Amino acid sequence: MQIPKLPQGTKIKKLKNIDYTFLAVVIMLLAYGLIMVFSASSASAHYRMNDTFYFIKRQFLWAVIGLVGMYVFSVIPYKVYYKFALPALGVSAILLILVLTPLGVEVNGASRWLGFSVFTFQPSEIAKFTLIIFLAKSLADNSDMLDKFWGGFVIYLAVIGIVAGLVLLEPHMSGAMVIGGVGIVMLFAAGAKFRHFMYLLPVAGAGVAGMIIVAPYRLARFKTFLDPFSDMLGDGFQIVQSLYAIGSGGLFGLGLGQSRQKFLYLPEPQNDFIFSIICEELGFFGALLVVILFVVLIWKGIQIAMHAPDAFSSLLVTGITALIGIQVVLNIAVVTSSMPATGIPLPFFSYGGTSLFIILCGMGIILNVTRHIKK
Amino acid sequence: MKALNLQNKKRAFVTLVIFVVLLIALLVRCAWIQFVNGEELQIKAIEQQTKDKTINSKRGIIYDRNGKILAQSASVELVSVSPREIHEAGNADFVADSLAQILELDRTAVYEKITKNSSYEIIKRRVEKAPAEAIRSLMSAEDENGKTVNKLKGVYLSEDTKRYYPYGSLAAHVIGFVGADNQGLAGVELSFDNYLKGIPGRVVTAKNAIGTDMPFKYEKYINPENGANLVLTIDETIQHFVEKHLEKAVADYNVQNGAACIVMNSKTGEILAMATYPSYDLNDPFTLNSAEAQALVDSLTGEEKSKAYNDEIQKMWRNKAVVDTYEPGSTFKGITTAMALEENVVSLTDTFNCTGALQVGPHSISCWKHGGHGTVTFVQGVEGSCNPVFMTVGARVGNANFYKYYKAFGFAEKTGFDLPGEAVCAFHSTENFNEVELATSSFGQSFQITPLQLVTAYSAITNDGTMVRPRIAKELVDDSGNVIQTFDTEYIRKVISAETASTTRQILESVVTNGTSKNAYIPGFRIAGKTGTSEKLPRGNGKYIASFMGFAPANDPEVIGLLLLDEPMGDSHMGGQIAAPTFKLIFDDILRYLGVEPQYTAEELETMDLPVPNVEGLPVADVPAAFANSGLKYQIVGDGETVVSQIPKGGTALPSSSTVVLYTRETDESDVVVPDVIGCSVSETNKRITNSNLNIRISGNAEVQDGEAVASSQSPPSGTLVPKGTVVTVEFKYINVH
Repeated sequence: MQIPKLPQGTKIKKLKNIDYTFLAVVIMLLAYGLIMVFSASSASAHYRMNDTFYFIKRQFLWAVIGLVGMYVFSVIPYKVYYKFALPALGVSAILLILVLTPLGVEVNGASRWLGFSVFTFQPSEIAKFTLIIFLAKSLADNSDMLDKFWGGFVIYLAVIGIVAGLVLLEPHMSGAMVIGGVGIVMLFAAGAKFRHFMYLLPVAGAGVAGMIIVAPYRLARFKTFLDPFSDMLGDGFQIVQSLYAIGSGGLFGLGLGQSRQKFLYLPEPQNDFIFSIICEELGFFGALLVVILFVVLIWKGIQIAMHAPDAFSSLLVTGITALIGIQVVLNIAVVTSSMPATGIPLPFFSYGGTSLFIILCGMGIILNVTRHIKK
Repeated sequence: MKALNLQNKKRAFVTLVIFVVLLIALLVRCAWIQFVNGEELQIKAIEQQTKDKTINSKRGIIYDRNGKILAQSASVELVSVSPREIHEAGNADFVADSLAQILELDRTAVYEKITKNSSYEIIKRRVEKAPAEAIRSLMSAEDENGKTVNKLKGVYLSEDTKRYYPYGSLAAHVIGFVGADNQGLAGVELSFDNYLKGIPGRVVTAKNAIGTDMPFKYEKYINPENGANLVLTIDETIQHFVEKHLEKAVADYNVQNGAACIVMNSKTGEILAMATYPSYDLNDPFTLNSAEAQALVDSLTGEEKSKAYNDEIQKMWRNKAVVDTYEPGSTFKGITTAMALEENVVSLTDTFNCTGALQVGPHSISCWKHGGHGTVTFVQGVEGSCNPVFMTVGARVGNANFYKYYKAFGFAEKTGFDLPGEAVCAFHSTENFNEVELATSSFGQSFQITPLQLVTAYSAITNDGTMVRPRIAKELVDDSGNVIQTFDTEYIRKVISAETASTTRQILESVVTNGTSKNAYIPGFRIAGKTGTSEKLPRGNGKYIASFMGFAPANDPEVIGLLLLDEPMGDSHMGGQIAAPTFKLIFDDILRYLGVEPQYTAEELETMDLPVPNVEGLPVADVPAAFANSGLKYQIVGDGETVVSQIPKGGTALPSSSTVVLYTRETDESDVVVPDVIGCSVSETNKRITNSNLNIRISGNAEVQDGEAVASSQSPPSGTLVPKGTVVTVEFKYINVH
């Protein structure tokens, strides 16, 4: 890897050290994730791809690419984003609209991708970051705007809502949820009033009621979530299989590589349900380690945000941290049948090259912010 | 760029707290699933993750007491199909054709099964080796290119077992049979099922969700434990004798409702034979054994048909000796005799006067003998099976005592015998047990018992007062022949003194030698016993049960037996006329087979057969010397100097005082016509046969006297031409016996 050339030698000295604790947590999560992707994917790789290493080879390659990306982003000064915040969001919005046109690549009835053949990407993944950047800039610059309900809070909600709404149209429910969640966290971190959030509650309640009235099957799905065993061969299947996996783990699990549920019982165990396989193979302690690593990551992220050199970088770090945190919470909630099922990957763990790459790039941005913290 | 304010820091910290709280909550949720619901989820998970295949345990062999195999399991195969796979392979027609042909099944039925919407269907159970091999060869047949292909895709062979009963119908009601899953359904197969069945093993194999092979092998093998082999107390030979004679009796006496017989070792309680006639084929226990019953079932339809079949098959499987109850009738008089002697209310020489009826309370109860027995001693009363004598003796025993003995002899309880379905009937309740009931009970009427209860009660008489528990199992042995468990003789209780028992035996022996049981007499074997003829309920329908309860040798009994002929419709229905002779034939075979030493009386010795000296080739002058101590007479025919032939031949046996005819010239041999003696008295028979220059042998009882018996059969039959001196065997049967 080549260190980018910088015009002046003095600037090299200015490139301060990154936060190694944060880096260590990221590396640990990455390593843990790779091990589990290998273990969880081996069975389906064997049956479906005729190659036990099929998934881990790709994931490993992406991890390496992601580490490069992380380094690159740790070097790019975060202030660069500040300048391009608004145009970047604009481009994202256009891409999100393009996805809905026939240009979008449709897979399984959802149009989430853009691009040709192997080179495809999800505009929603980019939109997450451009929204975070835009909100960080705008909220940092206009923090007093949030004091007003209609003139501030609602405007930001509208921006968040438009981006999330475009994603929801793909349709990509979980992506919209994550975007909405991240936006709310950022508004909160930027100092939005508690009162204003309270106003949202009846609106949210009415929204849920409306959704159920429009599509009553959602109520049935909600019932399935409450008792997945009532519909074991239908909607409840994945959740039941996930619970079998978690329940089989006990304190120390069946041992690394010893999952039985990964033998085609749990569909794509290396994806959204990888946490269940961790619980099955490594037991409660394996799950505890996952949670501890994420808690440390979030704690370090928030700590960095609290000591960030300025409001923009603080909100930027908070946003990226929230992006990870929300996905972790939602993923574990789904696989433990604590909320209705929706497809959310577990960052660092779930199989998926581009997703891992983007996360690591995000970590690079946070690392860059740590370079600017005054010690 | 704006600086970070304090509020931003606070809010960032609150955000951290919210995330941590949420993650801890989820961790608790996770722990809840793992530790609270874990066990249940794990069981369900393992259930879906493993294939659990049962390995049948080998069912134990059933032997007779001498090690002859009565029931044995052999491994066969089960043919099943996966209709789903057959559908995928598209070979339904070929599979249907092949299986129907090889397994001799209806093609339409097979086709229907293999095209069902399911993943598993059993085509045929218990398929023998040859057809299984035929199927196997099609499963790895060669196609035209010499490649090995499975022409029966979706067809599977798996292990199965079949129970074989080498003797077919022999002792069917004792042995019983097994059902589709090798579970015992009747007989010892049922009552000893827990010992015989063993413990099935299991193979637990890991499987993936689509049921294909796992990339690694996980198999847990739990060995099956084979069942123990059961050695019965039954003796196949004795069982065979019994069944042979039962069959003959049923045919000879036109017995309508079957027959039963129990033969027991009187000292150990071991059942040597237990038969119910008609029997059924254990290798095909669900097919009715009578064409009549089958025709009846076939004539019906639907529910009526299945009900009729069920009734008939239950009747066929009924072990009459254990399950049926009946009135013992006069056979019970032995028990009354024992209790009266034990209570000391009668002596052998007490005299009674039988007028043909006895007034008991308001009723006049008659004796079987019209006109009565006159003045008789107690022993003569038993010999003559006199009802008034027993009513009188019963009254002397008294209600309370009679009731006490009734219970003591075990009639109010099950014998504890180890075959299923043992019955027990209620006796008169104490408040209803009055004078009249006592009187009728004394000669074995007005209550019902099972044949096995009567045999068990009589074991007190044969066994010096102590009843022995009847049992069918001798021991359990493992496959190497080591005894695992021995079933020991169990004594129920002492009911009467050894002295009473001995006296009762003497009386019962004299019933055979002098009384109503004469037809059971076998020279030298000291048979003792009592006949019985009981009218079935409702009275007056002309249906009877003729029975004989006996044992031998009387002084020290070894074998005890009971024979029942249910609804004889021939010339006679009297126990003494039909049950006693059959019993005699059975015991004659058994006692000789068991090698019981004959004990001849002086009288018997006198009438015993003597060996004929061989005088062929001897000069006529030497003949007197040869016959000097033979006990036989001779008659010389012709005037030659040497005996050229003799009838009967030397070495054969002749009754004493018979005449051997000696020929001195071959041309002198002349044939005579055998006279007809059927229906003749003993003296008349003797006269007719000796007048024809023939010799007579009386079969069976050597003490036949005139007036009591008539010739019932003869061999050779009348009209046959035979050489002079030939022995004509004549069988006599007592008339006028109860």
